Amino acid sequence: MDELKFRRQAYENPNSDEADFIAAMQGSEDRKAFVNDLKQLDNQLEQAFKVPVPEGLEAKLLLNQQLHQHQQQRRKTGFTLALVASVAFIAGISFTLLRIAPVDLNQHALAHVYHEDAAMTSNEQIGYEQLNVQLASMSQSGSGHFTQQPGRVLYSTYCDFQGVKSLHLVMQGEQGKVTVFIVPAEERMQMQQQFADQRYQGLGFETDNTYMLLVGENQQDLSNIKSEIKQSFI
Amino acid sequence: MLSKQRRYDSLVRALHGDIYRYAYWLCGDKHIAEDITQETFLRAWRSLESLKDNKAAKAWLITILRRENARRFERKKFDYSDVEQETLEDSFSVSTEENAEQHLIRRQIAKLEVEYREPLILQVIGGFSGEEIADILSLNRNTVMTRLFRARNQLKDLLDEPQVRGQSNG
Repeated sequence: MDELKFRRQAYENPNSDEADFIAAMQGSEDRKAFVNDLKQLDNQLEQAFKVPVPEGLEAKLLLNQQLHQHQQQRRKTGFTLALVASVAFIAGISFTLLRIAPVDLNQHALAHVYHEDAAMTSNEQIGYEQLNVQLASMSQSGSGHFTQQPGRVLYSTYCDFQGVKSLHLVMQGEQGKVTVFIVPAEERMQMQQQFADQRYQGLGFETDNTYMLLVGENQQDLSNIKSEIKQSFI
Repeated sequence: MLSKQRRYDSLVRALHGDIYRYAYWLCGDKHIAEDITQETFLRAWRSLESLKDNKAAKAWLITILRRENARRFERKKFDYSDVEQETLEDSFSVSTEENAEQHLIRRQIAKLEVEYREPLILQVIGGFSGEEIADILSLNRNTVMTRLFRARNQLKDLLDEPQVRGQSNG
């Protein structure tokens, strides 16, 4: 091994344990001293490289990882939560759309009369003050109320016209009973003035931001009660 | 899960010092070095499965660390541009005479180009062979050996220089 190659190798790695390097070093005291010099430098370098490690770094690294894992778990939980939230959201939207859908008051009124038989057999005597109390609690009904007794009222209760709180009355006509629905007006409501099925006649009109739907068997009763209501309801 | 945690714990315990020091000599700032070390170990945790051989852990971590350090420059190119390698200082306290000597050596190490500094650290404190260093730095072995040669050569020159300044014209 020539001197140049030896020196170069010593600079590359003074601690080399390659056989020919060791052999070349053993051959001369100068070379030994030269390598020892470099080894000395390496020792100094090693000490210099060993800058102090910040206190608690080890603990910080462990903590960081634990937090990271914790967050990952939370993210998983978050995903589940998001899924549930989406389902709830979709359900909410559908429900709202359902409520926004147009309401056919006529059909609904007829169906309601058939559905609530109990109303037709009721035989109470209800004063208009009580009706006014009920009307007042219907939020959207505005200021609509009765100023006098509209005739004999046999039955009165709240009912639901597809999400709209309404008042369901049964009144006594000359020929038979007439069902009256008082429904706060809403944009989505559709109503015809005249409607009927095989059994019942129906009559609808709007007064003071409120829909009135009258359902009965006799056309004459309907128009009588309509005029009565028109006189007494403001 | 437990074994992964144990494996990570022992990895941190055994190597956090070396990794931190490597980071320090790479970036020259105590705080950035700590950040990079944090990032490195977090990334190591995420992909601990890919570490097949425990003996390769140090080289593996250093590879991650170098990538993190490179990413730092992609992310915040100008944030640390004022940290010139020339001004990289030994910011650790100097109190005794022995430390003063170490301080001097550290200053000289800091003056080395990072291309020369890196293989030297890997060899001196990492204990890696020429081939291993070549592997970590994605260089061929001859380049690594040349850089090691130049690194020691420069350091030796710098350290043998008369340390007293301003008297060169005496």
